[in-house]
Amino acid sequence: MVKVGVGGGTGRTRRSGARRTSRLIVAAACAAIAAYGVSWVATSSASTAKVAAGAGSGGSLTVLLNTGFEGAWPSGLDPSTDTNGLANQDMMTSIFGDLFQLGPKGKIIPDLATGYKFVDGGKVIDMTIRNGVKFSNGDRFTAAMVAKNITRDLASPCTCSPTSAWTTLAKTNPVTVSGNVVAVHFTAPYGAFISSIISSDANWIADLNALQTMGASAFQNAPVGAGPFTVVSDTPSQEIVLKRNPGYWQSGYPLLQNLTFKTVANDEAAYEAMQAGQGQVYIDASSPQIEAEAAKTYKVVEEKSTSPYDIQFNTSIAPFNNIEARQAIYYATNAKQIDDKLFNNLFPLTESFTAPGGLFYEPKVPGYIGYNLAKAKALVKKLGGLTVNFFTIAIPTAEEATDAMAAQWQAAGIKVTTANYPLAPLISQFTGGKWQVALQTAGAWDPAQGVGVGFRFDSHSPFSGVHSTQLDTILENAAGSTNLATRKKDYAAAAALIAKEAWGPFLFSYAPDQIFAKNVTGPGLSIPLPAVAVSATVLWQDVTATK
Amino acid sequence: MSASAPASFDLREGGEARPRHLGHRLAHSSLLRVLGRRLLAAIPVMWGVTFLTFLVMNLVPGNVARSLLGATATPAQVNAYQAKLGLNHSFFVLYGNWLGNLLQGNFGNSYSSHAPVTSTIAAQLPVSFELIAYAFIISLVISVPLALLAARRPNGIIDRLSMTFSMAGVSVANYVLAVVLVWVFADVVSAFPAIGFVSIGTNFGENLRSLTLPAIAVGLPLAGFYTRLLRADLLEQLQREDYVVTARAKGIGPWRVIVRHALRNSLFGLITVIALNFGTLLGAAVIIEQIFSLPGLGNGLIQAISNHDTPVIEATVLIFALMTVGGNLLADILYAVLDPRIRYGSTTE
Amino acid sequence: MAAQPSSAGVAGAIALPLGDQPAAPAGRLRRTLKITVPAALLLLIFALCFLGPLIFAVPSPTFTNILDANEGLFSPHHLFGTDQVGYDILSRILYGGRASLEIALAVNGIGMVAGGFFGMVAGYIGGWRDAVMMRFIDVLIAFPGIVLAIAIAERLGPSEFHVILALTVFSVPAFARLSRAATLRVREETFIVAARLSGTRTNRVLLRHVLPNILPQLITFNLLGMGIVVVLEGALSFLNLGIPSPLPSWGNMIASGQTVLTAEPRLVILPSIALFLTVLSLNLLGDGLREHWSSR
Repeated sequence: MVKVGVGGGTGRTRRSGARRTSRLIVAAACAAIAAYGVSWVATSSASTAKVAAGAGSGGSLTVLLNTGFEGAWPSGLDPSTDTNGLANQDMMTSIFGDLFQLGPKGKIIPDLATGYKFVDGGKVIDMTIRNGVKFSNGDRFTAAMVAKNITRDLASPCTCSPTSAWTTLAKTNPVTVSGNVVAVHFTAPYGAFISSIISSDANWIADLNALQTMGASAFQNAPVGAGPFTVVSDTPSQEIVLKRNPGYWQSGYPLLQNLTFKTVANDEAAYEAMQAGQGQVYIDASSPQIEAEAAKTYKVVEEKSTSPYDIQFNTSIAPFNNIEARQAIYYATNAKQIDDKLFNNLFPLTESFTAPGGLFYEPKVPGYIGYNLAKAKALVKKLGGLTVNFFTIAIPTAEEATDAMAAQWQAAGIKVTTANYPLAPLISQFTGGKWQVALQTAGAWDPAQGVGVGFRFDSHSPFSGVHSTQLDTILENAAGSTNLATRKKDYAAAAALIAKEAWGPFLFSYAPDQIFAKNVTGPGLSIPLPAVAVSATVLWQDVTATK
Repeated sequence: MSASAPASFDLREGGEARPRHLGHRLAHSSLLRVLGRRLLAAIPVMWGVTFLTFLVMNLVPGNVARSLLGATATPAQVNAYQAKLGLNHSFFVLYGNWLGNLLQGNFGNSYSSHAPVTSTIAAQLPVSFELIAYAFIISLVISVPLALLAARRPNGIIDRLSMTFSMAGVSVANYVLAVVLVWVFADVVSAFPAIGFVSIGTNFGENLRSLTLPAIAVGLPLAGFYTRLLRADLLEQLQREDYVVTARAKGIGPWRVIVRHALRNSLFGLITVIALNFGTLLGAAVIIEQIFSLPGLGNGLIQAISNHDTPVIEATVLIFALMTVGGNLLADILYAVLDPRIRYGSTTE
Repeated sequence: MAAQPSSAGVAGAIALPLGDQPAAPAGRLRRTLKITVPAALLLLIFALCFLGPLIFAVPSPTFTNILDANEGLFSPHHLFGTDQVGYDILSRILYGGRASLEIALAVNGIGMVAGGFFGMVAGYIGGWRDAVMMRFIDVLIAFPGIVLAIAIAERLGPSEFHVILALTVFSVPAFARLSRAATLRVREETFIVAARLSGTRTNRVLLRHVLPNILPQLITFNLLGMGIVVVLEGALSFLNLGIPSPLPSWGNMIASGQTVLTAEPRLVILPSIALFLTVLSLNLLGDGLREHWSSR
């Protein structure tokens, strides 16, 4: 179901809806694109405003987070048990650092790991762990600790763990250590391994010795990691205060002295708080009106989108078990008009689950049918009328897009009733199996990720409206191959099949914006980064607020 | 009630019957005995509230595992998580366990954060209480002088204006007031913070600043209400009460009569009304805390409900109920203790 | 001042005991005006909301053409303009008022009938049964209704009917208490004692003698209570538990407008004015009626 609550998942949520939405966004945010690593620093420091005048020289920042998105951490910040961890990526990365990070243009950057390689035809992945790193309490950061963390993650019932993605994980001794190398063993080649790491809690390594001494409850409120910042105080889902980790492995970093994350109800509240001097950065804004208003005073930069809106059909029951009914919706939907009027033409139109910020982007899909009112009317007439129930998640952005689309469909003679559900009832829609058509988002930085394309289109997903073994096989191969060119070909084939069968019209790829004070610079803010699912993570150790 | 502030159905008993009746009773029986009886009667009420809460939360679809794990969790994952939390039991077993622990003074641990409920609540309680106290102060600072001025010349220009103000005050929704206040004072003028809370310990000045807009949003409608109440009571005192007539006859100036005599007596009544408002205001705080991102009980309650965090919900609901029931009780006692007409046993009927 | 239990707001108005207001020195005319003016305003609001859309051609509140989005005030086809999706704001205020008023009428109707009856019976029969019945009401009053409102919205899905269900939790116990207190007061009146002693059946005493005497108070409270319900409906919308969009209500218009307040203040201000005027006229009317009845 709703991966992102259709794009809007982020900003304009009202309070409690927001809260409920946070769950789906967990899924949405499925990936810690994390702080940015050393190699990228080397290649791009010239192009950034990064002065690197030394650790702690960059001042202090308060960052506002939407309660419906990143701003909820009810179960604490222990990577293995933070059920909202994948949405809390900014905080997690600040405290723990990452094994691997996603840099600009989708480049994988080693951080606490120094590299990886595929062994045994891609069935085994060797990750080399950085030497000489220490946790913020002085404990050594070792390969054994990394392996222990991953094993612990796999045993946790948390959806943040990579368990569900690693379907072909070896049954015995899946995680082994030798020297400074951690190996993960699979029974089949797994090309999307690193994508799955960066979109799960396996990317964050906690000091389990500290956990032992402190106890689970204390640890989750003040966890110990090897990241650029350490925890000063933590009021769950309200505020977390961090300060520079003096023992951070990368000398001269982080640039900020203090970093505080604070939650706000919605984009409007965030803007008001910034105006009142209570914050300098707001992550993942989605309201075009507020962004326009904020642009008068602040910088507003769009993240690189990876997750398009799509219209999902239940192809198991009438009316959308009939391809002509599905085609009628394809013809009746004017994506460009909605993009123009609702989002000020911000987002590039797309015909598949790939987007400009992600891997394997293909804006055009052969055989994709677009807006054509006359053909829509003709099809509806041929069908003897078409009556549909169209629903989405109860988030303003999604509701507005749904309303606008319903009006377009009505213009083609389709009778539409719309509904917006909070998360729990939305899930019952899917489990009930009686749903007809929904506005969703589909796709991720790597379509093979847990909430990528398979989430909506693979038979095995409870939130899929399509049940096709042909498509399942293509998607499986695409995730397994270690060859990017092969994977790209597979995903193009999947997109073409979806278009041919009219399984789901795609609209445009949504990405939230970052709003920040003009003196703030850094990757993820002044330099846009791709969103792993819907939102990008700022690389906080490189962020600075100049005077 | 709960959701909204000024508005509330929280009307205990209409007409003047109850207080007089009660006053009568208190005056003729031992205060302690009545108090004991009322406390005993409160026990089934408090129990009923906890049971109702458990029951209602049981009706909400989903469970704590589902709400923490999110939409992508499979039913197997949800079950595993529930089992890990020790929650794969029937409603009655869970309620029985909870109640058993409570009777031993153990509120349990939060399902989501695993921290003791008492520490969660202890962090939230001062925020809500300070908000309410501040709101009361604002409402009294406005309403007492206004009512005095109004009562001095009934139907005069000040009276008319104050009645207009108070009618507008009781008719405005507190959330609308909150939204407008933020817009004007946080955004346009930048005089107060728009969100968040600074604790007293950190910085007292900032603490007051962070609570000013929320307290006005809660206190202004309250001020409208208290102005009406106080003015009416002052006028009644001035017209009917013997000691006022006596004071007047003695040649004491009208202003002095109002302030020294009528006000003193009317304030007794006002204080009892304030006690009765405790529970209501806690309810009002739910939405105001949401709008201003204040880490108080109301905000915590909404979070806990969305997480299906029953131990936290139960503890919060108990506090709400305690404030309502206790406020009621307190009002009765205050009424008996403070009202001279009752204290001296003189009949009020 | 009788220590009237009351609340911090609209309901508070009724907390003033009936006889408490000093008899107004002003004449009959003023007292009549105090009833007719708010009554007329209220009538106008009802007429606009329920008949208005039939008389003037306003666009549908739930049908939009995205091309009409973001029209300003006084634009040719949209008197109050349109919002970011293209909905006509005037139309949504009128239809939203319909929803808000329907909810208020239903919630208080149910409260008055169910709660009123419950309280009247409890007060009349007295004794331990009264005590048990009132403890039940105490539980409902001490229980934060928000918990139930969320449960209903999540269990049954948000809808106008479910909002009504959720809000009756507030109205039923309030009416029950009011009605019980009023019954206690009239129970010992000579004509009722006489009826009882002459062997009139309890049902008959209740309906013929008690009810007519407590009805004025119930009706007055109904008016004041309607204002409360209109406000509470909006509060539920703020928590996303109110009437689901695209259906309009004043509450959900204010709540969703609040998320773009800085950019589009009119989306909040226009429905807020409608809400305020309605609650104000209900309060004024309730006030006027109370004065009228108490001076009889």
